[in-house]
This record gives sequence, C-alpha cells and structure tokens, in this order.
Amino acid sequence: MEIPVIEPGVIPPDHVAPDALQGIRRQQTNPKRWDGAGWTGFAEILRSAGIEVIEQPTVRGAFATDAGGTAYGMPHGVVIARNTAQVAALLRAAQTHRVPVTVRGGGLTTEGESVAFGGVLLDMTGMSRVLGVDRAGLTVRTEAGIFWHSLAEVLRRQNLDYLSAPLNLTSSVGGTLGVGGIDVNSARLGCSADQAVSVQVVTPTGDIVECSDTQNTELFQRVILGYGQFGVITEATLRIRPYTPLRMHYFYYTSLRMAIEDLQLLDRNDASDYSGILTMMDKVVNLLVAFDSDARKAAFMATWRVRLRGHGEAGVALRMMAYYALHPWRLGEALFLYERRRRLFPEFRRAEYTRDGRMFDRSVVFSRAVWKFWGGRKMVIPDLAASEEKFVEAVLRGNAVCRKYFRHYTLYCVGIKLREDHRAHYELSCVPPDARARAYGCEFEPMIGDKVYARDRLQSFKNEIYDIGVELGTSYYRFGGMMKGYIRRVFGDALVEKHLEMKRRADPAMILNRDVIF
Amino acid sequence: MAVVQPGYQACTGCSLCLLACPVWRATRDIRLTPHGRARALQCGATAGELAASIDACTFCGACEPACPEDIGLVAMMVDLRAELARHAPERVARVRNRMEQAMGGETRATVPPASRAAMLLVPDKALRDDPALLKRMAGLLGASGRVAVTQDDGADIALALEAGAAIPDARLACFLAPLRRAKRLIVGDGMLIRALRGWLPGVHIETLGVAASSMAGVRDKLHASDLYVIEPRAYHADQERLVKYYDALRASLGCSMNLDLQRLAIPTTAGSLPAQLGRNQVDVRDQARWILEGCEVARIVVEDLNDIAAFAAVTDKPVVHLTQLT
Repeated sequence: MEIPVIEPGVIPPDHVAPDALQGIRRQQTNPKRWDGAGWTGFAEILRSAGIEVIEQPTVRGAFATDAGGTAYGMPHGVVIARNTAQVAALLRAAQTHRVPVTVRGGGLTTEGESVAFGGVLLDMTGMSRVLGVDRAGLTVRTEAGIFWHSLAEVLRRQNLDYLSAPLNLTSSVGGTLGVGGIDVNSARLGCSADQAVSVQVVTPTGDIVECSDTQNTELFQRVILGYGQFGVITEATLRIRPYTPLRMHYFYYTSLRMAIEDLQLLDRNDASDYSGILTMMDKVVNLLVAFDSDARKAAFMATWRVRLRGHGEAGVALRMMAYYALHPWRLGEALFLYERRRRLFPEFRRAEYTRDGRMFDRSVVFSRAVWKFWGGRKMVIPDLAASEEKFVEAVLRGNAVCRKYFRHYTLYCVGIKLREDHRAHYELSCVPPDARARAYGCEFEPMIGDKVYARDRLQSFKNEIYDIGVELGTSYYRFGGMMKGYIRRVFGDALVEKHLEMKRRADPAMILNRDVIF
Repeated sequence: MAVVQPGYQACTGCSLCLLACPVWRATRDIRLTPHGRARALQCGATAGELAASIDACTFCGACEPACPEDIGLVAMMVDLRAELARHAPERVARVRNRMEQAMGGETRATVPPASRAAMLLVPDKALRDDPALLKRMAGLLGASGRVAVTQDDGADIALALEAGAAIPDARLACFLAPLRRAKRLIVGDGMLIRALRGWLPGVHIETLGVAASSMAGVRDKLHASDLYVIEPRAYHADQERLVKYYDALRASLGCSMNLDLQRLAIPTTAGSLPAQLGRNQVDVRDQARWILEGCEVARIVVEDLNDIAAFAAVTDKPVVHLTQLT
C-alpha cells in the first residue's frame, strides 16, 4: 500500500468520512511521530540559554497521554515553563530547528491535543503564580499555567471568585482560554474564554505580545478559542467577582426533551444564576438550578418553579419504580441506577462543602464527583455544540448513539451565553456559526470504568456522534487531535483555508501544537 | 478488615494531588510530586532514578485524601524511601544518630504496665522535649479519665518510617507491647499514628489534636478570632472522619483553620525530615505566610509544637500550643 507523504500544515483526506474507506472500519487518526531531525541542536541551544530540557524517558513518559488515555506519544524532551522570556526563546529556537512544540496545561484533553508526538513538550504549569488582584476593578492578572482551582484558592482569601471555569480542578487557565471552558453559570456569564480582558501571548516566532479587544485585536481573536494554533498564552487578565455560595436545587425528569426545554426556558428568561443538566443515561435526568442570593432564589420560586415539569427525588423514584415494575427484564439497569444514586448523591451534599442548603465550593464538589465517578484511565467525551433551536434534536440523537454503544453513560448539558462583540473569536471554534444569543453544549460520556474497549470501537462511537453534528450543522468542543478529520466537513473548505493561511503566516515552520488543528 | 489501597498503577494522571502538595506549590515541578512519581513508576522508573523526588516529600499526606483513585500514596512513599535506603544504606546513616538519640541509646523500659482501662498518651518528640507542656497535656487529658504517659514515645520508629530505615523486630515489639494493653491511645506523632492503626487494629487511637480540642477546658479558650492550625499528618491519615470533626469545630467556634478549599490541611512542613536535615524544598515561612494570607486573626493556636517557630517567624501575633490555652 502506498502511503502518501503529507506536509505539516496540510489537512489530509478525511480518514473518518463514511465513504472514505468503503468497507473498512474507520480508524483513529493519530498523527505520525516527528522524526527528531534537528533535536540535538535545538536542545543544545536551549541548554546554553539556561533552560532545562528533561530527556529522561521516565519523566517524558509522565506526559505520554492525556486525560482521554487513548492517544499515546512521547516527546523528545520536556521543558517546564518558568517565565515568558524562556517560552519566547524556546519558540524562536523551535522555528529555527523546525522542532514541534506541544503546549500542555492540565493535560485534560481527550483527543491527544496535549500529547506530544515527538518534539518538545512545554509544561505550562511551571508558570502558576497569581501576579496581582485588582479588587476595585474586579480583575486578576495571573500566569496562564495556573489551575483554576489554584486561582480560586488565592481569590477566596479575599472573598473573591472567578466568573466561570470548567468544573474540573486541574484545568489550566491558558488551556481553557484556548478552547472555551464551560461552567454551570455559562448560560448567564458566557464561557471562560470570554472572561479574558487581555492576554500576554508568545507568538510561534517568539514575539511577546499583549493583546485584547483594543490592542493587537487580530491576535486576540485568533488566540482566544484558537486551540493553541497562534500563540502560547503566558499571562492573562481575567474578570472576577465577589464570592457567593450557591443555593442549590435539583429537579428530576424522566424525559430528556422535557428537561432540555425547561433548561432553555430558564436560560431565556434569566430565571437562575446557574443551570445545567446531568443525567444517568436517559433514565434519570437532573436539572440543577442554583442562585447567588436569596432574592434571586425567591424570584425563581415565585415565578418559574411552577412552570418546571421536573419532580423532587421522591417523585422520580416512584416513577422509576413504576417503570421497572412494568419492565422487569431491565432489573439490571434499575439496580445500577439505585447503586449509582446511593453512592453519587451524597457526594453532592457533603457536609464540609454544603451548609444550610448552600454549596460553598461548587468546583470542588463537582470535580471530586467527576473524577471519582466518571474518571478513569480511558475517557471519551464526544460532544455537540448547537444553536438553541437544534439542541434538543442533537441531544436526542446523540443519546440514541450512546444507548447503542454503552450500557451506562452520562450526558452533561449547559447553555453558553455568547458575546456579539466576540463573534470574530468564535470563527472556527466550538461556537456553532448559526448560534446567536446563546449556544448549547452536550457532552456524551460513557462510563467506561474498568472495562476494556477497542480504540476502534471508541472511535466509531465518537464518529457517530460527530456525524450527527455534520448533518445538523453544529460544532464541537473537541474537534482537534484525533477528531481533526471532521474539521473540513464541519467548517467548510473556505474557512479552513482562510485559517490555514493565517497559521502559515504566523507559524512558518508549523511547529506550534502541530496536528491539533493544522 | 483492612482495606487494601491501590498502588501507583492506578494513577490516571488527574493531577489533583498537585493541588494539595506543598512541594508542588514551592517548585511547580511535576517530577517532585505524587503524580510525577506514580507516572514515572508506571514508565519503569526505579527508586534510584526518583531519589530527588523521594527525598523531597514532606509526608504531610494531603495527596492521599485528594486522590480520587484512593491510591495509598503515603504507603507508596514509605516503600520508596525504604527501597532507596536498601540500595543506598549510606543515605540512612545520616539519620541513624538521630534515631539513636531519639531512642535514648538503648531499648527503653516503658511505663508501668497500663491497665486495660487506661488511656495512654504517646507524645511526639517535640512534646516529650518540653516536660512542662507534657505535664499539662497529661493533666488535661487526665480530667476525662486515668491517663498514663509512655516513656517510650517511639520517636526513633517514627523517624525510621520517614527515613525508610529498617525497624528491628525486637525494637518494634518492645514499643508496641504496652500500647497493646491500652484501650485508648492518644498519639502525638502524625507519622506514627498512621502506622499504629495498622499495627494495633483493635486499639482505639486518637490524635492529640482531637483529644485536646475535645476537652471543654481547651475548647472554652478557643475564640472566633483564632487561627487554629491542624497537624496535617494525623489529619490526613483519617481525613474522611476528621474533616467532619474539624468542620463542626470551626462552625461552633467561628475560628479560621489551615484548611484549603478541598478541606485538606495546609502544612508548614516545619517538623518534616527534609526540614530537619536542612534539605526542605518547601520554604516553611512561605507556607506559614500562605496559611495566614487573608486571615484576620488575633492569635494562632497550633496542634504541632514545630509550627510555633514557623508562625512566630512571620507574624507578631501570639502563637500558642493547644496545651498552653489552659
């Protein structure tokens, strides 16, 4: 078989298109490992500049995969980022020697986006200091390798908080700004990337540039939600707010459609401060609603509570019992749901994080639960990001795919408020082009646990979810890495070519985060 | 039945242990963290290759309750230090004289055999070295029942555990014999308390901090304006239970505590072996400042005597041990 040579920066023929390889199972699209030409000279230049290049296999091995655990690659060396000047020197040398640079924050990608298939891996967590808090202006300046949780630890000492961040303690600020970041308050406050006031960026050619909505605007537009293609974010100024604990309420549904419609009703009417859906398959659908103040909660109770069709915990339990009494052959599923509820629900109500119905640290509570109950050595989380109008259909069709492939899974749905003035940021991003005031995202997460699945099976599952997106004209959060084969199909040749041209200008040797998008 | 915790093989690389690790906070170097060690071991690293990382750990134990996979990270470190010591005995030589000093040069006779009903106080070395405070503590505990104080505090054993040195069977048996007869042990050394739970499964073992702060005489003297500094090793060895105790204490008193947002205790690391050997990667004063940051407190109350100097160096607020409250 003849395998064509593909130049870096060229998106190859779509490996995962249904008609690409008739009769042959679709394959995972791992990139080829960089061959190492020029590595020695590159490493010597860095060392002569006082930069530590770690080449021990056991250390490099620590970065061999990401949270997804399905893509594996080894960098030739690892550099722990210590300051912006060092990052700039590294990128200049990488351009000269044409060494691929893979930038990693928390490593929470699932499609191998933060896995280095050769070249140098730049570990940004070495730059994790908070540089200053402006209490009056409600902003914080921080190094971008910091975990959101570490930022929260600093802000909370001053009774402050970030606006929105992924419900995962070890997401990094820089990585999140590069892809989006959703929280249960994103329907009201937007995605994390939209919280950035300005960022310091090291371009692929090693220039250090401060950019914002008013300064170096074009670079700002490309770096925010840019999947790391146009620069390394080394510092960021973010909006912050006074800290408030959450008044949590849970409503339970047995219909996905109904729960989504109610979620959208609340979001459209700004009826709550936090909203989202978390499910146990499509059997127990939990709409969580929360408030920053008693006044907001009271307003919700007076106006919107009666319009929600969800039930309390006891109500949904009775319905489930009735359902399984009529479907006794599904006893195994019923037992799973019972056991899951028994173990999971107390995690959301732990006394040390919740007092008088108020949750004090939502990210800690949710992140602990995520890692304890969903985390594992392998995680695949295909998603669909759709306009408000298309969202119900996207979720229902995605749910059917989950049912086909896995016995147990979870769906996580949230709204994302969009900023009209940031529309340029959203180009070639997770934000669907037809979404206006608000977009919606749904993650489809099978509970893999200790089970072993072939990578092809997992890839086929992802493909079927993503095929729905192609048909409906949605976008995705995770379209990079192993899923990059979908980029042309989703965004179209014209837009992809436009960004590829920009990428070539910004990164002549195409070294930065190679194969994530380009 | 003892629960067998998974080993390093179970690490998924979630990095949650980093958030609680004082060495990580000081260095931002993943190689020196539980995550870095577990992943390196998965890649076939030997203890020798991880020597710098193994030496850096302060045994605060915060990583273990943070781990969603329930990996026995402290046991992993004990094993790694022991393996390192086996292959490079000279590494333990530098703590050998400390162990001998701690033991008093000979196997100690212990207290008169404690009756089955007795409460037995096993002070840590710092408390042992301050007879006046030790007497106060014994008196304090004595208010709730007959209490005896062991002559043998096992400081050499605690040090051996931390250093990875072998503990002679005879020495361990000698140390444990009187403890087996006690119904309730109050243990000061956080390193020892974890091991004692394994060695003496039938004995009720409590931390010195919990035992003292439970006493009305102490609790009455704690104020909302205090910063209460929990001893991290003992706390993290039983965090699932103790978080509830301290959370209730904090709620009832309104005082501040050295707990982070995950409710893990932030350590100064002042009493750790790296600190004793002058090789601490963690700046003890910086940790004390971090604990104090944002706290409007009038006084600092510590469970661990080693923390007094750490806080006194960075604040002019009074710093007292729990026993000094009475």
